[in-house]
Amino acid sequence: MSLFNRAKVIDANFTQFVKSGNFPTARSQLNLSQTNIKPDELISIFESQVLSRQMDLKARVLKNEGKCFYTIGSSGHEGNAVFGKVFPYTDMAFLHYRSGPFFIERSKQIPGTTPIYDMGLSFMASSDDPISGGRHKVLGSKILNIPPQTSTIASHLPKAVGTAFSIDRAKDLDIPERKLNSSSIVLCSFGDASTNHATALSAFNISIWISNQGGHVPIIFICEDNGTGISVPTNDSWIEQNFNKRRGMDYIQTDGLHLIDLMIKTRQAEHNCRINRSPIFLHMKTVRLMGHAGSDVELGYKSLSDIESTEFNDPLLHSARILIENRCLSAEDILMIYKLAKDQINHVFDWTTVRPKLKTVSDVMESIVPNQTRVILPKQPTQKARRDLFGKEFSRLDQPQHMAKLINYALSDIMLRYENTLIFGEDVAQKGGVYNVTANLYKQFGVRRVFNSLLDETSIIGLGIGFGHNGFIPIPEIQFLAYLHNAQDQLRGEAATLPFFSKGQFTNPMVLRIPGLAYQKGFGGHYHNDNSLTIFRDIPGVILAVPSNGADGAKMLRTAIREAYENSRVVVFVEPIALYMKKDLHKPKDRKWIFKYPYMKDEIPIGEFGTYGNGKALTIITYGNGLYISLQAKKEIEKKLKKKIKIIDLRWLSDIDIFKLLKAIGICENVLIVDECRRTGCHGEGLLAQLVSKSNKTLNIKLYAADDSFISLGVAATATLPSKESVIEYALELVNV
Amino acid sequence: MCKKRIVVICPGRGSYTRDTKGYLKTNEAKTKNNIEWMNEKRKEEGLPTISILDASPFKAKIHMAGENASSLIYACSLSDFLAINQDKYEIVAITGNSMGWYTALALSGALDLKNAYHLIHTMGSMMKDEIIGGQIIYPLVDDNWQEDESIKKIVLNEIDAYISILLGGYIVIGGEQKVLDILLKKLPAKDKYPLQLPFHAAFHTPLMKSVSEQAMVELHHSLFEKPSVPLVDGRGNIWRPHSTDTLALYQYTLGHQVTKSYDFTSAIVVAMKEFCPDKLVLLGPGTNLGGSIGQIIIRHDWLDLNTKSAFINLQKTNPYLISMGNENQREIVSG
Repeated sequence: MSLFNRAKVIDANFTQFVKSGNFPTARSQLNLSQTNIKPDELISIFESQVLSRQMDLKARVLKNEGKCFYTIGSSGHEGNAVFGKVFPYTDMAFLHYRSGPFFIERSKQIPGTTPIYDMGLSFMASSDDPISGGRHKVLGSKILNIPPQTSTIASHLPKAVGTAFSIDRAKDLDIPERKLNSSSIVLCSFGDASTNHATALSAFNISIWISNQGGHVPIIFICEDNGTGISVPTNDSWIEQNFNKRRGMDYIQTDGLHLIDLMIKTRQAEHNCRINRSPIFLHMKTVRLMGHAGSDVELGYKSLSDIESTEFNDPLLHSARILIENRCLSAEDILMIYKLAKDQINHVFDWTTVRPKLKTVSDVMESIVPNQTRVILPKQPTQKARRDLFGKEFSRLDQPQHMAKLINYALSDIMLRYENTLIFGEDVAQKGGVYNVTANLYKQFGVRRVFNSLLDETSIIGLGIGFGHNGFIPIPEIQFLAYLHNAQDQLRGEAATLPFFSKGQFTNPMVLRIPGLAYQKGFGGHYHNDNSLTIFRDIPGVILAVPSNGADGAKMLRTAIREAYENSRVVVFVEPIALYMKKDLHKPKDRKWIFKYPYMKDEIPIGEFGTYGNGKALTIITYGNGLYISLQAKKEIEKKLKKKIKIIDLRWLSDIDIFKLLKAIGICENVLIVDECRRTGCHGEGLLAQLVSKSNKTLNIKLYAADDSFISLGVAATATLPSKESVIEYALELVNV
Repeated sequence: MCKKRIVVICPGRGSYTRDTKGYLKTNEAKTKNNIEWMNEKRKEEGLPTISILDASPFKAKIHMAGENASSLIYACSLSDFLAINQDKYEIVAITGNSMGWYTALALSGALDLKNAYHLIHTMGSMMKDEIIGGQIIYPLVDDNWQEDESIKKIVLNEIDAYISILLGGYIVIGGEQKVLDILLKKLPAKDKYPLQLPFHAAFHTPLMKSVSEQAMVELHHSLFEKPSVPLVDGRGNIWRPHSTDTLALYQYTLGHQVTKSYDFTSAIVVAMKEFCPDKLVLLGPGTNLGGSIGQIIIRHDWLDLNTKSAFINLQKTNPYLISMGNENQREIVSG
């Protein structure tokens, strides 16, 4: 037997050691008679452990045959079957990838589930896989309340906290859309090395902070500590040192190799969390067998004696010893369970290898956009309800206002209509946001629906995702566009991907508001004037909105919320800060950039452009601040050209229907794309390429974008950006005047 | 030689019919001993013996009455089970439909054969004088076994009775007779459906609560043992040999199983998916559960079969579903 094939060694060792009675010594002395645990419960858990082990072994065999596509296994982590037993399936579980035993054991709570077959399909990337449809090997199930996770960097922790936070909030607000029972708690598992990720730290921090504020965050963080992060050891005391005695989060340590200890400590954690509604850190110390994944050769970084010593601590051997010592099973029974499980897994997994795979582009992309839920929208609020809500402000609703005010009004009406909406972010509550866009909302709707977050964007989006799991439509705010970048994975890797990897069965609808872009004169510098939307260009399924004036802003925001409510979409709503307070367009006090608050039913559908003018000499395509300066430039361009031009406001930057845009351009051949964002990677760059390639006539087209520079301070703040003057210059140059 | 893996399926109350008369006699060679003690027991109780019943001209009133039908079916199924060549076939799981669950308990060793007879006979005789409610069977699929959504919608909307059994492409509705009478008029007529099942009570509905309670008085949980083969129950739950909690098995059998819907569809789906057997083996008497099983197979695209004709074609050439009530197919597993 090859030294390198540890799977074979471990497999053979189990049978041999059980036969010979050569078992590892218990790390703690506990026996069944000291507890009220039933022998059958332990046996059931052991069966799940063994089934999961056999899956790992078979997966490696099939991987070598090119039939299986995932070999990160659960071997060594079989203790997590106990969690599958103790926690009812109504407790939503965000699991890390070594949770096969948990999944099998939890499945037993719902008769009719088929975990072995389903996991086989997932291992083989079959399109029959009921959770991801062959898109990833994930542990997930709608009925078992296990949203699938693809995270390898602990990015599922913040949303788990959000979901936990949502449970009591949904109960308090009594929203009919809630999905989780009010007594539920949330489980979230991860490895020891993952606790070092910034996202993990963000999640621990926010949960403790909320708890310390008196908020309820019923979550159990389950750290499955196998002492190794791929090849790097975790110091034996590192986890305990970091998480023991943290105010606001109880720490419970358990022996992942000892079923009875696990049962006792897990029940304790479960009871405390359910009653106290506060976070618990459950530290399960265990081992890792067979390396990080099938391709990982541990002998490259560990000595053979260390590997063998770990292997002798196989949780299955420990479980076998416990079952024999407590007279639950004989050695023969154990070997029979092991053999029957092997036969069953081999047979079922072989069967699943021939099931169909995803083949076409449309097969793969089918679930990027969530399934339509076709729910009935809440009714529009009555005038009386609105009058009561707005108070004195009600009489000013029909007066022209700037964008910040109109978005603020829209948010009030939205929150009145959609009782499952929440607003949170930095300074959004009492202060009303840095630009007063959320002013009065705290007073109008109270702290349960409008609250300040920590200065931590990861947790802001994470909470949003979590609330979305439980029937809310969160409207989180990232204070400035540049701040999004330290939290982008929450959007890119988590929120955007959930429908994709769950065939639309799980969704996290939200409208993420982000004040951003440049042109704030004399304030802020680079971080407050970030002019890059590149991050949103390549995230499939996410809708990006950039309104350029208040009326559009209000209407587009209503559309965004409806899309989140009806179709579970994730919408990013970028509000150009420099236009928030703009009142005038061409000259001081012309008041041409203030607008009346649109009628309650008015919306702007996704993909609908705004068009200014119908000239054919030139078409300017732009958005946001670009529209504002282009409109300023329009008069002079038309004067110089002695012809009329057209300006198209894109409004929705994803997905842009390029043929619709070509139709809007019409017979005009001169096209100038004005993009206020940095040239490299800006949306205009993609538009240019697409218009050129899709147009059936030769266009005289140019992209005029901001320079590839960061924004400077003071009077130089706009130096690198398109301006009225430069737009005129580029426009005239394009049409060769 | 590697044994073929099979899942054994035990039929329910409607399986002994006019067409299966004499079934036991034809197939009882290996099971004579097991029939004899049943006959003796029934003689003691003043009931016609299984052998006499099997040999007598079929009379619905006699053969389908609870106190006779259940025992007769149990004997036939047992006889078929013992005829399976276990040198060639490995039984990886056992399941059943409705009363077939009791048979499954016996065949898996969760009840010994005599205790199983006692259970079956007790449950079958409980409504000797007057049965509670009744059952109607109605198809939810068209002639080609494709689900007919419009029919499904009508049926499910019309049900103010209870879903008694989910039976592949059929639904069995249980309820008070007056409710069933209304349903019989309301449901769109289709061939012989809606069809009231003769001598069937409202099994698997809350109307059976008193039967469940009485059964728990008459039958003690100590009768139950761990099965030696995995069992799949009428919810699709798997009872494994070592981890089965016998008290829970008893409670399910006399509680939930009696008073809540029996999901035979789920039982078959779980058996197929979680064990991926090479064959399904339907015990006798008769073969009339075969259609429902075929419907489940194509509904789940099992073996890439998704039409009735594809299933029938496979059955002709290399049957996946072996019905022991079919002489030719019986040979496959008993030879």
